[in-house]
Order: sequence, then structure tokens, then C-alpha cells
Amino acid sequence: MILYTLRRLVLLIPMLIGLTMIVFAIARLLPGDPVALAAGPNATPDVIESVRQEFGLDKSLPLQYWAYVTGLVQGDWGVSIFTRRPVFEDIMTFLPATLELVAAAMLIAIVLGIPLGLAAAVYRNGFVDYLTRTVALGGIAMPRFFLGLLLQLMFVSWLDILPLSGRFPLIEIPPEGPTGFYTIDSILAGDWYSLTIALQHLALPAFAMSLSPLATIMRMMRASTIEVLQQDFVMTERALGISNTKILFKYVLKNAMTSTLTVIGLYVSWLLGGTVLVETVFDWPGLGLYATQAILSQDFMPVIGVTLVIAMIYLVTMLIVDLLYGVFNPRVRYT
Amino acid sequence: MQMTRRSFMGSAISAAALASMPFESFAAGRKILIMASSVDIPNFDPHVATGYAPAMLFRNTYDALVRVVGTPPEVKPGLAVSWTVSDDQKHYEFKLDPTAKFQDGSPVTAESVVYSFKRIVKLKRGPSWMISGIVDADSVKAVDAQTVAFDLKAPFAPFLQVLPWMFIVNQAVVEANIGGDDGQAYLMKNTAGSGPFKMGRVAPGNLYEFIRVKDDWHQGGGNLEGAIWKIVREASTERMMLQRKEAHIALELYAEDMDALKDNPAVVSVIEPEYRTFSIKMNTAKGPLADKNLRKAISYAFNYQSMLDAAGPAELMVGPLPTGIFGHDPNLTVYRHDMDKAKEYLAKSEYKDGGFKLSVMHATGYENQRRWSLLLLEALKALKIDLDIRPATWPDTVAAAQSPDTMPSFMCLFQTANYADPDNVAFAAYHSSRNGQWQNPVYKNADVDKLIEAARVETDKTKRAELYKQFQELVIDDAPDIFGVLEKRKLGFGANVKNFVFTPVAANAIELLPLSLD
Repeated sequence: MILYTLRRLVLLIPMLIGLTMIVFAIARLLPGDPVALAAGPNATPDVIESVRQEFGLDKSLPLQYWAYVTGLVQGDWGVSIFTRRPVFEDIMTFLPATLELVAAAMLIAIVLGIPLGLAAAVYRNGFVDYLTRTVALGGIAMPRFFLGLLLQLMFVSWLDILPLSGRFPLIEIPPEGPTGFYTIDSILAGDWYSLTIALQHLALPAFAMSLSPLATIMRMMRASTIEVLQQDFVMTERALGISNTKILFKYVLKNAMTSTLTVIGLYVSWLLGGTVLVETVFDWPGLGLYATQAILSQDFMPVIGVTLVIAMIYLVTMLIVDLLYGVFNPRVRYT
Repeated sequence: MQMTRRSFMGSAISAAALASMPFESFAAGRKILIMASSVDIPNFDPHVATGYAPAMLFRNTYDALVRVVGTPPEVKPGLAVSWTVSDDQKHYEFKLDPTAKFQDGSPVTAESVVYSFKRIVKLKRGPSWMISGIVDADSVKAVDAQTVAFDLKAPFAPFLQVLPWMFIVNQAVVEANIGGDDGQAYLMKNTAGSGPFKMGRVAPGNLYEFIRVKDDWHQGGGNLEGAIWKIVREASTERMMLQRKEAHIALELYAEDMDALKDNPAVVSVIEPEYRTFSIKMNTAKGPLADKNLRKAISYAFNYQSMLDAAGPAELMVGPLPTGIFGHDPNLTVYRHDMDKAKEYLAKSEYKDGGFKLSVMHATGYENQRRWSLLLLEALKALKIDLDIRPATWPDTVAAAQSPDTMPSFMCLFQTANYADPDNVAFAAYHSSRNGQWQNPVYKNADVDKLIEAARVETDKTKRAELYKQFQELVIDDAPDIFGVLEKRKLGFGANVKNFVFTPVAANAIELLPLSLD
């Protein structure tokens, strides 16, 4: 398994190199001139040219790519044309907020989705099944940003029990710690007040993000569980007099988890790449907004940097999912 | 079943407990002003960055020789307590406030002013275009420690109006961090000014905190201990923050937000005219729109009233200059919807039978620009001309403006006046030296150029106004733009914000010093 993991990690390198080539080419071949924009509204042609030279954009595309890749292997992810801030520094600023949001959303989706899906399968066509079907329909059909606005209307405007937007109150100093996750850093510091405040701010955007994966996980879990429940080994176990609870949690759950795991893995990366609308509605200072701003202003380096980070997280997530298959299904062999 | 019910109850109890935890007590008892704006502050260098969000930072962390306040904008003392101007308006002398100090405690001297202007001229970025051809590296001299003199290369009537955007930096701090780029890397993230506020927390893309400098040299001012510029992407969120008292000022509101706020006693709506024009520029250099008669036909075919109806609080432009600015002639005869005249000019053009297609580029996501483009489509249809409507991002727009070949037939453009003088709009939007820039991609008329050049150096006010009158008549006759609307600036203030005075130039670059919170 260790060898398998190492092999998969090594394989990431050519995949990421290929990705940089594609994204680099697409970013450069788009129409528009970000340099003229970055130089300012009244910049003279020689100033625009000097900015172009400063960022090496006057060189040929292969030379620009070579400079980028050689910088990348030395830890230099380039600099934004507009802010002149190092891209890596920016990504590290915004990434924890997005990861915390996605992690919270996935936690809600998994913690609620798996038991509800399991219950819907066990009590097929019962109350829980109909309830989960309704939630699933809503979760799949309703756009996240719209749900976000509805949640704001209900919990902020009408009930006034949760904050409107942001990650932490503006006039207070957020918790500092090694993870950049306000919740985890608050726990590490034993600061329960900050934890409460951070959770209050996290609640609505995380719930808005979670509904779609929750719906899918529930439905996937239900379908897998029903399929497993109909298999011969379950009948045999029942014939042997093993209790239903034991059959369900010891044998059925493990078998039903395999396909649900794939969905969970896919959703992590899907949510990472699609946080922008929720981040906009809730003013969550995350990677989605950063990437969108960069795309709209054709700021090449941040676009490439964000793409690389999301790709890396996606590939690592899928690797973890593959490894977890073995935990739930011992027949899986890593070769 | 039982377990599911239990887990459901558990979740519900947890959610209720979370909701009932103490909710943030917003800014309770502290005089910290919160401004909600969609615009980021990517660069703190006052000689490089442009835009109203950076301008807000500069106005509060730096000082200039003079400030502008009110409507119409009036020049007031800043670092300079007084100034004299020679009769030929080429020599200016400023006496600096002897108490003025940078935030590190060192005095602001005439040498600091000279250093700052030399840096502006050398970098050729940020505000340098405002004094291009007027001030060079040798134009500014320190007469003594508290007196600085300017010898302009030519008289420049709006000189005092542009000075509020020339901020003075602390030479010692910049020199200590000069690097290989005149301190640009340092000043991008740090300030070196004498303003009443210094930077606190900086979270790019999220918030910028300003802290009142203790015992600083500025006299008077309000009771603010600090302020926060909070980046908020959605206007509706800005509005809700204002309604919930989570923000004191919302800077980018739409007409519907103002409607929603008008009956709220805790909010003061500010709807003021400003010098921000919207026009649909035509490609006068290439294609069918090079024909002046066709341009006039389109100008008459356009439905201006519908444009105004779609705009929200606004007024129609009367010619190329914004209403209310010096030199603007409100009695000009301008184009208004008149299909008879449209057909008359179409018949005079080389394109009287129509049957061709033009294109318009408008800003992606800007709903009003899309609506106005549809009005253009309707106008052209009446002349049997088709229109291709293309939404574009800002970099695409800037790139398209670079030449007649890349410019579409029409471009939708807002232009904000940076200084309260007609020279700003006239020079940027109609002088041929600006061709290739987004404000004036292709329009060129030698007579218009001469009038603009004459007006900017004319020292006699009456003669200057006459030159601008001629300029406006000539441009209207040329019809290079569909002169559109002046959208009013829409700001929302908490009722507890006191002492705000609206200024129609860089209206969103709020000056914090005079403000107070009740």
C-alpha cells in the first residue's frame, strides 16, 4: 500500500506539468491585454511596454513557460500583474477560508447524509425515505447562491440569530493558529468565545454549500444499501440469527460505503472549484473570489496558481478515496 | 427508525444551541467606522495606484498640498497653509504648515514635496498624467524648509484642482526601502505619509483597517478611533449590512437599494450628481461610422428618454462635458430622439439603404449597459441596421480600444472626472493624443485638439469658458459619441455618521478625518 501511495504521488508530477502547460497556454491565448489595464488608465505606451517587460510578457510563449516552470520548482509561483503580490502568498491567505468552508459543508453532508441514506434504505417508502427524497430533490435542484440568499433572509433578516456575512466580526481579531481554520485554531487555543463566533459565521455558508452533496450522498447511500441488503450474504447472516443492527453496521454499511466514498471524493473537489457563488453571497474571503477576480482581469499567474492548487487537492483527495476503499473492502488490492 | 429520530433531535438541539449563543455585539461603544465597498485596494503606493479605493487610502494616510471639498469642489489647505500664484499662472509658491509631521514624527518639509513630485514624474504612473507636460523634474524647488515653488512649463488652469491627488511621501522612509524600483515594492504594502490614519490589519480581498494616529498634527476632526474598509461583493449585502448596522457606509448601491432604504430612519441616503459621464463611443476612424452623417442619424434615432428611465437616479448629458462643471453650457442644442431628422441624415450618408451589421461592446454583468445596448439595437433597427451586442470583460475592452482595427463600432464607457475641471474630460476623452486609450480609442479632430490645448493654458476665466463652449459645439457637431447619462452617486450612511460632505470628484474616496460617530 505504501508503494502504491508513493507511485501515485510520483505520478502527480507529470500530470501537474501537463496541467500547467494547458492552463498556461489557455491563459496566454485569451484575447485582451491585462498589461494595459494593470499599467493604469492613463499610462503611456512606454510605461505599458515597461510593465510588459517587467513581467516578461514581451518574450515568446515557450520562454515565458520555461521561466514559469523553473520558478515553480524553486517555490516561486509568480506574481500578480495587478497587485504585485506573490501568488503563493495570496493562495495561502485565501485557501484556509475555502478549505474550512468546504470541510464544514462536507462534514454536514457526510454526518447527515450517510445515516439518513442508510435509514431511507432500511425503512424504504417510509417517512424517512420520503423526507430524504424531498430534501434530495431540493438539494439537487436549488442553486447554492439562491439557497444562501434564502438562508440570509430567514436567519438574518427575520430571526436575526446569525451574522449576515464574513468569517469573523470586523472589529475583532480573529484567532491565529497553524491551520488558518478559525474553528480549529480556536479549539487549539482553548478560545471558546472565538469558536462560537467562528461557528456562527460558518453555519449559513456551510449549510448552503452542503445541501447538494448531502442530497447526493443520501441517495447514493440509499441505493447502495438497498443493493447490498439484497445480496445473498445478508440473507445468510439473517439465517444465522445475527441481529439486524449488527448486519447493518458491521457488514452492510462497509459494503455500501464504496460508491458513496467516490461521490464524497468527487464532491470535495467540485465544491472547491465552485465556492465562488456562496463566497460572494456571504462575503467569505476565500479562494473562489480570488480566482474569479483574477480570471475577470486576466491576471495569469493567480489563475494558473489556483488551478494547480485545486488540481493537487483533487488528485490527493482521489488518492485518499482509493486508499479508503481498502479500509471498507479488504478484497481491494493495491498493485 | 428510533436512531434516526434521535440523531435528528440531536442535530436540531445542536443547531438551536448554536443559534442561541451570544451574537456579535457590533462595534459596541467603539468609534470605528465601517465602510462596505466592492473595490479592493491592491496597491498602497500613491504614485502608482489609481481608482477610488486606493484614493480613499491615500486621502487618509497621506496628505497633499491642498484638498478639495464640497460641490462644486473647492480647494482648501492641506499640507500647505497658503499659496500665491503669479499673474501668468506659471509660478506657484506654497507655504507649508510648520506643525506638519509624518507618522514617524519627522517634519514634512519642502524637500519632501520636491522628492515626491520628482518620484511622480519619474515613475510616469498613477497621477502623473495629470501634470504631464506641465511639471517636470526641474519644475519643483524648495525655497526654504517651509516653502516650495513650482515653475510650470506652461500655464495650467486646473493646477490647484489636480494637486489633491499628488500625495507627499516621507523621503527618509522611501530611501531606506528604495530597492531597485524607487521603493515601489515597499510602498505597495506599506505607507509613508503624514495622514491622520495609519494602516492596521491588512487582509487583501477582505478588509483594510485604518487607525487614528495619536496626537498627530491635524487640527480638529471627528471622534473616529479607526475605520475599516470591508470588501463586500454584492450591493444587496452592502445594503443589508447598512440596515443591520453592521456597516456605517455603503458605497456601491443601486437604485433599487436606495428605494429599499428610503423609509429606514436609521439610514441616510445620499443621491448626488457627480462628474461621471456615460457615453456610447463610436468608431469614427474605420467602418460605416466614419461617416459623420450616419453618426448623426444614429444619434437622433437613439431613445434618450428610455435610457434615462432605465438608469435610475440620473440625468441626461447635455453634450460631452458633465453638467455643473466649469465651462459646461446647459443651453447647447444636443441630439434627442427625432426619427425625421435621423432619416434625413441617413439619406445624406453613404449608407442610406442600411442592410449591414454593426457591433457594440458593453461591460459584462453591468445590467444598465446591456439595457442601453438594447436601446441602441432598437434605434439601429429603425435605420435598417443590425447590431451584434457583445458583453466584454474590462481587459477585453481596454485591448479593443487600442486601435481602429480592434475597436468595435460602439463601446459603452463610463468616465469619472479625477479633478473638477473640464480639462479632465475634454483632454482624456477627446484629445487625439489619447487615441489608443480606452477613454478615447480613435476620435481625432485637429480643431478640437487646438481648442482643448488653448483652454488648458488660458488664464482668463471668461475666455476659457468661451473656448470650452466652442469645444462642446464642435464635438456635438462631430457626433463621436452618443452622449448618454450622468448617473447620480448613490451612497447609504448610517444616521449616526456625522459631518459628511459630498464631493463630486472621487466621491467614494471618503475623507475620514472630519467624520464622527454618535
